Amino acid sequence: MSKRSDARNLSTRHPSRVTRRGQRIGVFVCHCGHNIAGVVDVKRVAEELSRYPGVVYATDYEYMCSDPGQDLIKRAIREHRLSGVVVAACSPSMHETTFRRAAEEAGLNPYLVECANIREHCSWVHNPGLEATEKAVRITRTMVEKVKGNMPLEPVEVSHADKCLVVGGGIAGIQAALDVAEAGYEVILAERSPTIGGHMAQLSETFPTLDCSQCILTPKMVEVERHPNIRLLVNAEVEEISGFIGNYRVRIRKRPAYVDPDLCNLCGECEKVCPVRVPNEFDRGLLERGAIYIPFPQAVPSTYTLDEETCLGIKPLICGKCAEVCEPGAIDFDMSEEVIEEEVGAIILATGYDLYETKALPEYSPEDPDVIDPLQFERLLSATGPTRGEIRRPSDGKVPKTVVFIKCAGSRDPELHKPYCSAICCMYTAKHALLYKHAVPDGRAIVFYIDIRAPGKGYEEFIHRVMEEDRVLYIRGKVAKVFREGDKLIVWGVDTLSGQRVEVEADLVVLAMAVVPPEGVEELARTLRLSCLDENGFLKEAHPKLRPLETLAGGIFIAGAAQGPKDIPQAVTQGSGAAAKAISLLSAPVLTHSPEVAEVDEELCSGCRVCAPLCPYGAITVEEVAQVNELLCEGCGTCVAACPSGALSLRNLDDAQVERMVEAALAELEGAREAVEVKGG
Amino acid sequence: MSSPTSLTETRHSSPVPRRDAKPKLAVYWTGSCGGCDVSFLEVGEAIVEVLSRVEIVFWPALVDAKRSDLEALPPGSIDVALINGVIRTEENAEMAKLLRAKSKYIVAYGACAHLGGVPSLADRWGKEEIFREVFGKGFRPGPPPGANGEAALPDLLDAAVPLEDVVRVDYVVPGCPPPAPLISRFFGALLGGEMPEPPHVFANVKALCEECQRVRHDDRRIERIVRPHEVLPDPETCLLEQGLICMGPVTRGGCNALCPAAGMPCTGCLGPTPEAGDPGTAMLSALASLVRFEDEGEEYFPKEDGVLEALADPLGTFYMYSFGRFRRKR
Repeated sequence: MSKRSDARNLSTRHPSRVTRRGQRIGVFVCHCGHNIAGVVDVKRVAEELSRYPGVVYATDYEYMCSDPGQDLIKRAIREHRLSGVVVAACSPSMHETTFRRAAEEAGLNPYLVECANIREHCSWVHNPGLEATEKAVRITRTMVEKVKGNMPLEPVEVSHADKCLVVGGGIAGIQAALDVAEAGYEVILAERSPTIGGHMAQLSETFPTLDCSQCILTPKMVEVERHPNIRLLVNAEVEEISGFIGNYRVRIRKRPAYVDPDLCNLCGECEKVCPVRVPNEFDRGLLERGAIYIPFPQAVPSTYTLDEETCLGIKPLICGKCAEVCEPGAIDFDMSEEVIEEEVGAIILATGYDLYETKALPEYSPEDPDVIDPLQFERLLSATGPTRGEIRRPSDGKVPKTVVFIKCAGSRDPELHKPYCSAICCMYTAKHALLYKHAVPDGRAIVFYIDIRAPGKGYEEFIHRVMEEDRVLYIRGKVAKVFREGDKLIVWGVDTLSGQRVEVEADLVVLAMAVVPPEGVEELARTLRLSCLDENGFLKEAHPKLRPLETLAGGIFIAGAAQGPKDIPQAVTQGSGAAAKAISLLSAPVLTHSPEVAEVDEELCSGCRVCAPLCPYGAITVEEVAQVNELLCEGCGTCVAACPSGALSLRNLDDAQVERMVEAALAELEGAREAVEVKGG
Repeated sequence: MSSPTSLTETRHSSPVPRRDAKPKLAVYWTGSCGGCDVSFLEVGEAIVEVLSRVEIVFWPALVDAKRSDLEALPPGSIDVALINGVIRTEENAEMAKLLRAKSKYIVAYGACAHLGGVPSLADRWGKEEIFREVFGKGFRPGPPPGANGEAALPDLLDAAVPLEDVVRVDYVVPGCPPPAPLISRFFGALLGGEMPEPPHVFANVKALCEECQRVRHDDRRIERIVRPHEVLPDPETCLLEQGLICMGPVTRGGCNALCPAAGMPCTGCLGPTPEAGDPGTAMLSALASLVRFEDEGEEYFPKEDGVLEALADPLGTFYMYSFGRFRRKR
């Protein structure tokens, strides 16, 4: 009797999986040119492995990933009837798929193929010599032990819904919705405000080409409204997203507009009689609107809308004047909230941005009516704005003769405000200064800046044009204080190039406020049950370089300023990119996923729920026992390590395999030791 | 509430108790507190029927019989011998071996026989340190002499070990002491002629949480660790979520989660679930996973370490009953 028999011997019906019998493993050692062979004695590795238990064939070759290299593997699988393959080469993230496909072509289940990483984990980080070779042998042996315990697997397959939800109707969301719809898939476009268009609709002209923003945007807005594949939901907020890639269930709450868009003829009589006056969001409070209003003339859907927050009262009805004057009878106070539930295959989050509030910078007198944010200045510049494009300051309607633009207002200030660069301020400020100079040729435009960042196409040239041709004064330095003195705003700054203090008497000050995530994005992130926000609250991409449009949740993509400050071309590019991602998902007949995921032994799981909150992919749910959604699981193993009952295991990487791999890694190397002795002697 | 474990479904027609004859029963204590002998009474009146249906051949706590009586029995003549207590002395080991020789089946009864129990925690120190601590500096190790040089007290073994370290064990009735449902489960199988194939533990394969009525929340986490005397736990919520170290997730069920139901965290007396392995490492990895704050990130690591540092007596917490089984041999 063994002195210390395993507790499992007493009663378990779940003996750890034993190594499959009669193993015939093939080992293929790659030179990777000089990359591996220059450090590791690859012939020696193959030779050592050929003597390892279970290995029936071992060889080396210059480039295993090349066609002849793959053929070598395929031939060996057939000729030696291999039951498993280990390719000692680069990281599995590089060529695992290559070798698995090759094996499959030779009739071997691809999940019986593993890569032993002797490049990134060995040759690239060590000096040439015996130790490096010895380590390569250990790494390869380890993977041989893993393959011995691997089971043949089939990919997980699941069907998917064929609709796409786009959240946010700014330019990124519009572009994404149009592209997905054009590809033939049904799109639900949910926008929180009463119209699509987003911030781009508020802009006057766009840098660096000075196109009229609305002129290039409104055709797309109209296309959205007319597109047979797009279902547009305004006044709508996504309340809940559940499910998983290809099979998301979304709940959208749509506030009533109290106006039938099909009947509204845009006559505007309703707004005229409305007794309510509140600041108009679209004009950033520079104008007022009624409780019933249209955000701007080209709004889509093209209809007046009643804002129940500011209306004197609907339930019970207190005023009702608007309905009395509405000739087509479009106003219906009995409309109620709708809850829309849909199954969608893909979701594109294009939730856009907000501006950091000016009141966060009290040193710049943000309460002064002539200290404004950049979107207010856009409205002043816009032909559809409160001044019909004439630049007049809010306080007294005078044409400002000196305008100071303060850049990095709240950006690039890790101590007090936002640490990041808001990316678009350099360009729109240059544009603002230029458009101001065009409108008020005898006026002075002064820009305070820290650096000028203009890396886009035609951007640097634009800045130059503004500086040289339009004689805008750029002062490198920060502004310490803005305060009112009579009719003027006094701006105290410093010119860091000359080291001089600067004092400017200005008529209008524009603060290039930081771009921040919009309100509500946190709740949206919470409903996704994912840590999908970065440290600044923007949506986090799956990989900053290689997966910029994806989140860690499969099938949920991001586009535009939701991910971080972006200008229009970038937002449009991302909209199209996210659409392409969604289309490729929706067009797949079925979704497949690696079967190398965690699985639950239901006979062992007590439902203690240690695992579920740890899963970074939200793949585990617990009722009586834990259940792993195979499509969501990425096989990271966090739950397996945490499971106190040993009820969770990773397919093809169970505890018994890991134990044998550790033993193989630590076992004595007979041949190598002799060689060391020879060398030492 | 607790169903019989799936394990008891694996039955075999044991030759032991023949329905027509009373099974011959022995009960013996080795290094024991005596609680196990008393525990039989916990099944209530049913014990009367149990005792009427077995023939007690040896039970020092109940009937007068000497070691010589036991030695006189032919090998294999006892059907089932229940041994409670840890194997601490040479005499404990001798008696266990003697019972093994005389019995068809050996049952490790209670946590000490099963896993070493509380007495095995003494082995955090060596035998000599234990003597020095208990008897003072002048003590010389070795068997103490008898009164007239004949009868000598038995020497301590190097370690307090579970029964399975000295004899083959067929069945385990775990617990400190075994709880009534498990005692009933054992006698039910014995007297019903439906003993499962050995080796078998008369407790659940699933962890205690399965039968615990406390609510476990989706976003469970531990932000501070407390000891039972420091708090009045909420009666509804999982004790772990309240910072009490409950060994439930790594411990076999079968007791109807008696302690957590009464507001006391499980201390693990039924032993680890079969796949949990070492209960300390299993619990520690579960704890390390549960200890976290709402916002995660490296800046929280020191704070999380701080939470775990508040864990008083990790050895006694994680291995209260199982140190004898899981300690590393010197």
